[in-house]
Amino acid sequence: MITTRTTNEWLLGAAPIVLVLLLWQGLVSFGYAPATLLPPPVQVFLRMGQQLASATFQQDIAATLFRLFAGFAIAVVLGVSIGIAAAVSPPVNAVVRPIVRVLAPLPKVALYPAFLLLLGFNHESKIMLVAADALFPILLSTYYGATIVEQKLIWSALAAGTPPRDVLWKVVLPAAMPSILTGCRIGLVISCIVVFLAEMITSTDGLGHVLVTAARTFQAVDMFVPLITISLLGLILNGLLQGLRAYLLRGFPSV
Amino acid sequence: MGVTPIRPGELAGVPLGRRPAEPIIEIDHVSQVFKTSSRRDHTALSNISLSVEEGAFVSILGPSGCGKSTLLYIVGGFVSPTSGTAKMKGKPITGPGTDRGPVFQEFALFPWKSVLGNVMYGPLQQGMNSAKAEARALELIAMVGLTGFEKFYPKELSGGMKQRVALARTLAYGPEVLLMDEPFGALDAHTRTRLQNDLLEIWERDRKTVLFVTHSVEEAVFLSDKVVMMSRSPGRIREVIDIDLPRPRRREELLLDPRYQNYIVEIERMFDDSGDNELPS
Ligand SMILES: Nc1ncnc2c1ncn2[C@@H]1O[C@H](COP(=O)(O)OP(=O)(O)OP(=O)(O)O)[C@@H](O)[C@H]1O
Ligand SMILES: [Mg+2]
Repeated sequence: MITTRTTNEWLLGAAPIVLVLLLWQGLVSFGYAPATLLPPPVQVFLRMGQQLASATFQQDIAATLFRLFAGFAIAVVLGVSIGIAAAVSPPVNAVVRPIVRVLAPLPKVALYPAFLLLLGFNHESKIMLVAADALFPILLSTYYGATIVEQKLIWSALAAGTPPRDVLWKVVLPAAMPSILTGCRIGLVISCIVVFLAEMITSTDGLGHVLVTAARTFQAVDMFVPLITISLLGLILNGLLQGLRAYLLRGFPSV
Repeated sequence: MGVTPIRPGELAGVPLGRRPAEPIIEIDHVSQVFKTSSRRDHTALSNISLSVEEGAFVSILGPSGCGKSTLLYIVGGFVSPTSGTAKMKGKPITGPGTDRGPVFQEFALFPWKSVLGNVMYGPLQQGMNSAKAEARALELIAMVGLTGFEKFYPKELSGGMKQRVALARTLAYGPEVLLMDEPFGALDAHTRTRLQNDLLEIWERDRKTVLFVTHSVEEAVFLSDKVVMMSRSPGRIREVIDIDLPRPRRREELLLDPRYQNYIVEIERMFDDSGDNELPS
């Protein structure tokens, strides 16, 4: 019964994607869009197969993934530690709160020129932009999760002999884990978007750069390939994070 | 008959039971005032004095909001009183310690740990190696009747099972005093009765001191050596009643015992007479 249910969910989830592909094919087949601008999906996927086998495209994927992971990892480390610290320490909270209020709504991409000037045109500036954008959802949900930790969990741990300084690691962090992982999930999606965006703006490699190059030379097929590649990468990474989440939260209700 | 009311003023430092045992907990003129969000001070406890002998089972009974939980938290060291002192074995209580083990109505189990992980937690904190801690945990899990459920997570257990795990987790680090705050309050009547019987059986084995908050007069009389009746606004001790019933107690026998019935009627009548409108039911 459980298997049929998950199979059904899979089918339900796949249906809209298939629908989009059909619509796409339809637009081309019935001549609503010229094939030079909107190539048929089959052609795009065939081209993607070719590209995936080519060394340069693989290097572009590697560059994008590296930036994405590095930026996301920095965001996770900073977001979780600042979020927890702000939740348990009033002085840290007093310092962090106004900064977050000012910086969170700021469009980070506006800082990208400054990052480029500071860090150069290579990996660093893009990693920085990814980290800056993914940081706030992770920080805010960590903070929220850590502030709503049930007082009696902490009391139970203290009474059982937990040294007060260990409560952070032994109770607050694991208890806040559901919120932290929700923040990470949002942060990961943002990372995928932002790394691509940064590469589109200024880069010499990466999937975003591949798209811009193709667009400049009106090669519609080559334009769609990196787009679909980043979607698929996002899908895979999200799946991996979901697996990790299911494992880490196996004891928590309703995951 | 068996009911011997004692004026609150006479309580401080005076051993109350028949057996001349040492007081393990002494609460001395404790008051607790909370600052509420409406900026009016709220007196939750007013000048409470109480001493609990080692090995006694003492229940605290009173209308909702009279400060029972607050009193327990003060003894636990989770909350410090606005004035007065609470002492454990003659030493002022300044914070939580493994000598006082809480069991909360909401269970407060660690959701990220299995039953075994929860029960092992205390022994591990005390520096026991994991093999020993596990052996100790298994022993306690068996004691509360949950053998076979070691790998389960709290979310996979019923309310009664969760409360058994919570009790085992607390007993595992060997506290001298159990602080139980309406531990069976969230359970259905049948489960509640079974857990009362089991708790009594466990208690009769090693006679730990128990401070037990409850809303149920029957539960208090059934379990306790002594019932402390509190009243509201501000939280004070109204009466302390010794429950002079033989042990080991068996529910079937007690239900037919006129003394048992008498205690229940007497205590309920006292609540009726009090200024508190709300019955502790
Ligand atoms: N942290 C707090 N801040 C402000 N007021 C509080 C706080 N904790 C408790 N109180 C107040 O103190 C009083 C006593 O609360 P307490 O929880 O000890 O009552 P109780 O006797 O345990 O009630 P119940 O039987 O409903 O559990 C209540 O009026 C409550 O509103
Ligand atoms: Mg209470």
